[in-house]
Order: sequence, then structure tokens, then C-alpha cells
Amino acid sequence: MATYMDVNLVKYLCSCGKKFPICRLYLCKHCLKPRCIDCVQHEVDTPYCPNCLETMPTGEAKLKKNRCSNCFDCPVCGHTLMTRATTHTTPNPEDPTKVITKKMYYMACGFCRWTTRDVNLPDQSVATGNWPELENPNSKRISTLLDNYRAMAQIEKAERERKKYVKRRSHLYLQEKYGLPSSAMKRKGLSSLASLSQKDGDKVLGELEPSATVDSFEPLPNDFFTQPAALDKTTKLPNRLNVPEFQPEETGKLHIIHKHLLMRKSLRCKECEHNLIKADFNPVSIKFKIQLTALNHVPELRILNPCTFTYNKESVVTLTLSNPSVFNTTVTLAAIENETDTDYCTGKIDLPKKELVLAGRDEPSMHVYDDSSQAHLDFKDDPKVIAFRKANKIGFIVKVTPLVKEGDVRVCFLLKHEFRNTTVAALQSESKEPEIVWLEHKVYISLGQI
Amino acid sequence: MASHGKGTNNPNVKIAAGAMVCEDCELIGDITIGSRTIIHPKAKIVAEAGPIVIGDFNIIEELVTITNKSSSDGNSGKVLIIGNNNVFEVGANVEAIRIGDHNVIEGKASVGSQVEVSNGCIIGAGCQLNMPELVPENTVVYGGKCERRTQRERPPAQTLQIDFLTKILPNYHYLMKPNLQPRQASVKK
Repeated sequence: MATYMDVNLVKYLCSCGKKFPICRLYLCKHCLKPRCIDCVQHEVDTPYCPNCLETMPTGEAKLKKNRCSNCFDCPVCGHTLMTRATTHTTPNPEDPTKVITKKMYYMACGFCRWTTRDVNLPDQSVATGNWPELENPNSKRISTLLDNYRAMAQIEKAERERKKYVKRRSHLYLQEKYGLPSSAMKRKGLSSLASLSQKDGDKVLGELEPSATVDSFEPLPNDFFTQPAALDKTTKLPNRLNVPEFQPEETGKLHIIHKHLLMRKSLRCKECEHNLIKADFNPVSIKFKIQLTALNHVPELRILNPCTFTYNKESVVTLTLSNPSVFNTTVTLAAIENETDTDYCTGKIDLPKKELVLAGRDEPSMHVYDDSSQAHLDFKDDPKVIAFRKANKIGFIVKVTPLVKEGDVRVCFLLKHEFRNTTVAALQSESKEPEIVWLEHKVYISLGQI
Repeated sequence: MASHGKGTNNPNVKIAAGAMVCEDCELIGDITIGSRTIIHPKAKIVAEAGPIVIGDFNIIEELVTITNKSSSDGNSGKVLIIGNNNVFEVGANVEAIRIGDHNVIEGKASVGSQVEVSNGCIIGAGCQLNMPELVPENTVVYGGKCERRTQRERPPAQTLQIDFLTKILPNYHYLMKPNLQPRQASVKK
């Protein structure tokens, strides 16, 4: 969990040149390069409702305006509304001595306690759906505009295609221009092109009435100045902006809001076009089919504890490295040659010159407390470099000399580590053993203030 | 049960018949508890500046602190009256001047010593009221910014929950013995 706290102290350089904490990076197993959220391709797998987890194809989602038809949000605070059941008794019309009990449902917000009864929406006899929909006052105008734009797009597309065509056979264009029958075109299977002729487009464009400019407003009614503001009956700005099509001004005019759908995304490396993140198809599942986060492959570097620094004086800093791989991993640290980001570093760092060997990650033994570990003997650690060793983690000592009188002490260096490439392509090459490659990462650390 | 019997040796605690007061709670000072009121273990009621009178059908959950605090503006000696059908959820801290009926003080909410809560109010989880005010009827305070709105209906009474707790609590906790007869108690007070 500590990985996700103070994430901005230690950053790794992404292949696109941006610095990111390691938990935000991905590692493409095919290019063997770190990738960040800004340099991968985002793909929409499927829209789904975050409340009822119903998935639907993109086309259907678009028809429903990317909203769930069954789930609703509270118009006041935005939380998901719950369905509440009540029993409703009405006298039996046939036998007045008896009463009919009916289950009725209404929606209530568990957070701000808004209910559909607050705005006098009648209770429903079925648990889901069936709530009245508000008619958008501008829907007609919007649909004419949409139709118009669609027609425009088609005209433009047709024009583009015609241009392509004209280049090849210019006589056909002339044919059409002079109103010659288009049977020749039809024979050639170009009826679709013909149907998109400019005449249709002109008609649609002509029908559209242009938007009118509003240049004067009615003055505010006198009540606005003389009456005390009824703040409890007025909606807040976020309440209005939640529903741009209605923008209710009074709390009594609030209406339940269909829940927005979310996207199930997958990520793809832009260079090799392999998937980096691919979620399980079922939205209920939290598993991944492919999950190439850097945290699972690259040793994680962290600062063990805060240090105090003085200008131009060497201080000892303990950093930790933990190995996510099940194999022992060798790591070497080196200074970055011809560093481009010269402004970043404000300190000199003295790195261990020897190779550091990290033990493999052994999940079962991590939960057993074993103090009498002989690990430091197995690895023949130099106590001057290795401060401690515990399972797949080591603490090692570096010496940092700040070169500024005040401000942040920041250092950077190159972290090289072994990586066992277990991609299918790499495994197919003769030897069944995974191929070992060395990966390099530039690491930027903000150690603290002077 | 280290604190077994702690509450009982406070002679100023008056418990009406039908109330469920767990022994493992802290009752300090002059406190009157109405019938069918339920006080969970580890609740703390401190009548420091003056008596505290708690009405009927209230639920006071674990780690709730209700204090009649002596504030500097000289209202010490006043009685903190808590009405009927209120719910104080886990960890709520109440120092109010008065609490009416049918209120819900949600978990970890805090009502300051200069606040008067009327009826049907909900003070949401973690919300704090510190400024001197009379909270109007049916107010809901909710969210991180303590936003407010007025609800149409007051929260329903927790009768079913009280019935359930009345059955289940004696199975697991020592209870304080009622020392007042219900009807006379509320009149005499």
C-alpha cells in the first residue's frame, strides 16, 4: 500500500520523456520500454453502467445518450438513488369494507435524503424503470441541426469522392453537370454517389432557420429585489449544470437524472500495437486478461526514511529496492551520462559501484515472519552498501551531497536491471528458458528539503 | 466487565421503566432517561453544567458523547432536553442546547454547544455545526461542505429497530435497573 502514498517522490522516466511514479507506468513486453498513460492508445471496450453493471454496445449506448435507462442519480448531490418500497392501501371499489394493499416504489438518496416524493413525482408500481421522462424543449431544434450536419457531412464526403473520381475520369463529372441521365453511373454501381448529389443537400440546408441572436433581456422582476431570497427553494449552480437541457431554478422542478455510463478501456502500445491493459470482458469481474503495469516487472525504488541535509556536506541516505519478479534479479546503478534535464538535479549522488542482487519474490514466505534469516550470508552482502535485506527487498546506502543552499534535494541516476522476457515470441526461440535482457530506467528522486 | 456496576452507583441517574441502558456506558451527573430509550455500551453522557433529560424512543449508539457543557456565556445550570424518537449514530458528539424530536445525528457528526436542533433534522455523517443557531425543522446537513437542504418529511421513527434491540441487547449486556415508573416519571420531572 505504501507504494501508492507519496508517489511523487520517486519518478521513473517514461519512454516519451515524461516522469511518472512507477505505479502509473506500464511496461511493454514487446518493445521493452516503459509507457505512460499519455503515450499509449486508449480504446473503448464497452460502455457499462457503474451501478447495475449492464453492458451495451456502443451504438446502443449512443442511442441512450450514454446513460443507463434503469439507474438514476440524485439531482441534488449526485449520488446513486435507491429504490424504496412502501405499501399503499386503497379501498376496494367493489367491496368498501376491504382494502387493497399495493406495493409502490419511489427513489431516495441515501446521502442527502432527497426523494422523488420531494418533487411530487408519483410513486411507481414497478420497481425499475417506468419513471416519467422530461421532454427536452429544444429537442426539435437539435434534431434538425443534427440532420443538417449529417447532410453536410455527406455532401462533403460525396464531394471528396467525386474529386477522386474526377481525377480518373473527368467525363463523368461533365455528364452529371449537364444533367445527363445517370444510368451510366448506376450501371457502374455508383448509385450511392448519385443519391448524394448536391440537390438533396441544398434542400436540407435551405430548410434550416439560422439561430437568432439575443440582444436584449427582460429586466428582472421587482420581486427579485424586494423579496428576501428563498435559498432553500432555489437550486444551486451545480444542480442546474447537471441537467443543461432543463436547468431547473427551483428545487421543486428537480428531476431524477439517468446515470452516466462509464467506459471499459483497454490500452495499447502505439509502437508495437500490442495490448498493455486488457480487462476481462465481464464488467463484474475485476480481473485482467493482460495487465502489463511496470510495478509487476520493474524493481521499485523507494526512500526508506526522511533525511536531513546540509549544503555541500555528504549525507547518508538509505533507499530500498524491491523485486517484483520471482527470479533473483541483478541491479546496477549508474550516473546518467549526457543528462538532458540538467535543471532537475540539485545534488551529487554517490552510488554503490557493485551489482546489487535482489532475491526473488516468494509470495508464500512473505507472510511468514522469519527473523533468523541467513539471506545476507547467502548473498555475501557488503554491510557498507547493503543496510538490510528482507525477502525480496534490500535497503542500500547512497551518499548525497546537496549542491544548493536551500530548496529540494533532487538526484537522478540510471537503474539497470535484469528482465526475464516471457513473451511468447521470446520463448519460441530455441531454448525454452526465458531470455534475459537488461532494461534501463532513468530514476528521479526528490529526497527532501534542506 | 471491568466497569460492571459503574453506572449504578450514580444516584442521580433516573431510568424510566422500559428503557434499555447498558451498564458499560458512562453516565455522569444528573441524567433522566425516558422509557423505551436505548443506550448502547460505551456511550458517554456527561451532565456537567446542568441536568440532561432524554425523552422516549431514542437510540444512543456506541461511542456517542452527549455533554451538557458549561459555556462561558452563563447558560450553566440549564437543562439539556433531548426529545423523543431521536437517533444518535456511532461516534456522534452532541453538546447542543436542545434537541427536539425525530432527529438523526449520523456517525461522527458533531453538534456544538451553541446549537439548538429543532425537529426532523438530519445531521449527516461527519458534519459539524459550531456556530450559534437554531437549526430549522426538517433540515438535512450533508456532505463534506455541510451543505443544507430542507426535506419534505421528517425521518421515520425507528420503532422496529428499538423492538429488535430491546430483544437482543439483554442477551449480551448487563443492563441498569429502571428506577422510575414511566408515567409518573415524565410528569414529575
